[in-house]
Amino acid sequence: MIVVPKGSLHNLSRSVDRKRRDLLKAIAVGASVAGISGVLVVDRDKLAKNLKRVSLEDLLRSTAEAESPMEERAKKKEAELKKRYSAEAENICREKGEDSEECKLARKKVELITVKATAPRKGVKYAMALDINKCIGCRRCVYACVMENNQGRNLGIEWIRVLEISREESLELLGSNWYYEEIPKKDKVYVPIACMHCEDPPCVMVCPVKATYKEPDGIVVIDYDVCIGCRYCAVACPYGARRFNWAKPVVPIQELNPNMHILGNIPRQPHVIEKCTWCIQRVRDGGVPACVEVCPVGARVFGDLNDPESPIRRIAEEYGLFVLKPETGAKPKFFYFFGPARTPPSKGER
Amino acid sequence: MSASEWFETIKYIIGWALRGSRRYYLAAFGLLLLAVYGLYLWIFMQHAPIFLGSDKGGLILTAMSDSVPWGIYISFFVFWVGVAAAGIVFAIAAYVFNDKEFKKIAVLGEVQAIAALIIVLLLIVVDMGRPIRALFLMPRLPNLRSMLDWDFIVITGYLLINIIGMLVTVHYYRKDKPLPAKFIVPFMVIAAPFAIGIHTVTAFISQALTARPIWNSPLLAPRYVATAFASGPALLLIALYLAERYIEGFKVSIDVYRKTLYISVIATVVGLYFTLSEVQEIFWYTTEPSKLAQAKELFLGLHVPYLAVLMWLWVGLGSAAVIASLIPSTHNNKKAIVAISALIVVAVIAEKTFTIIIPAFIPSTLGEVRPYYPTPIEYGITVGVHALGLLIYLLLSKPAIKAVMTHYFKHGHEH
Ligand code: SF4
Ligand code: SF4
Repeated sequence: MIVVPKGSLHNLSRSVDRKRRDLLKAIAVGASVAGISGVLVVDRDKLAKNLKRVSLEDLLRSTAEAESPMEERAKKKEAELKKRYSAEAENICREKGEDSEECKLARKKVELITVKATAPRKGVKYAMALDINKCIGCRRCVYACVMENNQGRNLGIEWIRVLEISREESLELLGSNWYYEEIPKKDKVYVPIACMHCEDPPCVMVCPVKATYKEPDGIVVIDYDVCIGCRYCAVACPYGARRFNWAKPVVPIQELNPNMHILGNIPRQPHVIEKCTWCIQRVRDGGVPACVEVCPVGARVFGDLNDPESPIRRIAEEYGLFVLKPETGAKPKFFYFFGPARTPPSKGER
Repeated sequence: MSASEWFETIKYIIGWALRGSRRYYLAAFGLLLLAVYGLYLWIFMQHAPIFLGSDKGGLILTAMSDSVPWGIYISFFVFWVGVAAAGIVFAIAAYVFNDKEFKKIAVLGEVQAIAALIIVLLLIVVDMGRPIRALFLMPRLPNLRSMLDWDFIVITGYLLINIIGMLVTVHYYRKDKPLPAKFIVPFMVIAAPFAIGIHTVTAFISQALTARPIWNSPLLAPRYVATAFASGPALLLIALYLAERYIEGFKVSIDVYRKTLYISVIATVVGLYFTLSEVQEIFWYTTEPSKLAQAKELFLGLHVPYLAVLMWLWVGLGSAAVIASLIPSTHNNKKAIVAISALIVVAVIAEKTFTIIIPAFIPSTLGEVRPYYPTPIEYGITVGVHALGLLIYLLLSKPAIKAVMTHYFKHGHEH
């Protein structure tokens, strides 16, 4: 919960501008997503509703945020990254020539680098669900995630694992295989797994320096400047969600995603842990995670559990939500469901 | 008691630590060499990516992975916590049961605990990705729900207690004075719970994790403590034997050997019994599939054969030691007792290193089987850490025993 300090009104005008920009961006993203996934149906009325939700309170909050230490740190990081990557860009320009495409792209990327520290929205509780009947195991979410979240290319880090499990078995992960090559196979189901953003996350309980914690909007984040690389959280996570930077991670500038959040996809340091953040850099600005956007069969649904209109609520009501390994007691906020292909939705009763 | 007298004590310790025969220097120098080499490997591996920004080096040179996040370091960490915990056994025998023979060697238990705890702390440091950051952040941002923080607290606390214990002992004995009761009573009252505490908390790090079914049993902590009291005293006996052999005029009655062996053997029996109980729980009827899979890795070594070898080595050598200790003629022979102790130490190393840590990761939480075999660098660093610990053991036991001899072995003969 963000508490607005007294006397923070003085630079309200600046933040109003910024907020407006963000909002327009958010709407654009929202609209495009609706087109792609086909799960969200966005019309004018709904958009109007979205517009209404930004209250004075929100604006005040973002003012406070502008002064928060997190914001300060983000600014510093941004400057650092710009410096680091412009050196790389200059190298490219020297090699390929000043007016080569590569040089222009690299310079453009450097310019675009922004590190945000967007705070959680009030009263929001995110959740994601995945339709096991739809998923074809194509791993496009895995690749989109790598690109979106600046995962160390040299280390082969992938936040999402897609497990191939035989249909004959129960959802027992022991016999699973994530190195499969052919898809889709009739006798297999595909179960993508990433951080479940648990309600009672064991990873958070065990961290000796509180480097990883749960934000009010339900996203479990890692502060890469605090993590001491003990990997206790990786040991405690029941869903194998955490990836360690076993060496210095490298993301070449050509592949860098310049839209960054300090608790999310900002390039990591060596020897810190990382994991899925539900694309914090997108969702806190009103967007949806990259995996939801990219999934070619629309198997993923993301939304606010507290909002009765959100797609996730509709899924919950119509199909029911299931969690993996409930016996661990971590209470995941990533759900699975069995969509229309096999379990027809209940009609009429509701 | 003035500060200068304490200063004298420290000078006494350093003085005696640095004085010795050629063989003593040779041993110390060899250990130092190994330790420096380990340090070099560690700096090369750990700090190249952080301080030099190099993309060479890094923990990637270990065999650890996201599936097996902890390896040889944490494995041996568990073993040495056990050894440290058992340092208290001699002190209990000496001060609680007021056994004069044990008073001569109680300080050796403290020295052993100091050495073991230094190994323990170093093993955590080399395992951590960002140890320097940890140094600043752990005290500043403690998470009281994290067992790792509690472990850190009890381990450093116990280290401090043992350093104090050793200092005070040397301080009084070197001047041929008995230890004052106003020191012994509070010392025991604080030290004994800490001794049990370090190992209990170390087990608590792992036993409450539902993510790791094979650890997720309340038997883990008792099992840790049981085998700790097997290996710790056994190791002390070996050290004691070596001390008797190489330090002229230092003699201890065979009674000490016999009684210590009893403790060690009883603890081994309890440990074996716990293993039996675990086997029954896992294999007799049915059990949770992932726990069963991990247990099969441990007892049958399907993908990591060395786990099964070590586990059965524990059962075999442990039982052999127990049986050997039942033969009456071994009871009057220091050499036989030390041989049995060595068996127990090897058995517990087999039981309490890889066999505790690694099965929890194979198969992993998502069912991946990624075998773990430490790389040469990991072995090198582990050896280096152990060399440093043993060096400290060597250097500290010398002045400690000298001080004991001043008090108990005046003019070359016992009094
Ligand atoms: S899935 Fe793992 S990393 Fe994610 S919140 Fe749960 S315990 Fe933590
Ligand atoms: S690896 Fe980092 S985030 Fe995980 S428990 Fe250790 S310090 Fe915390």
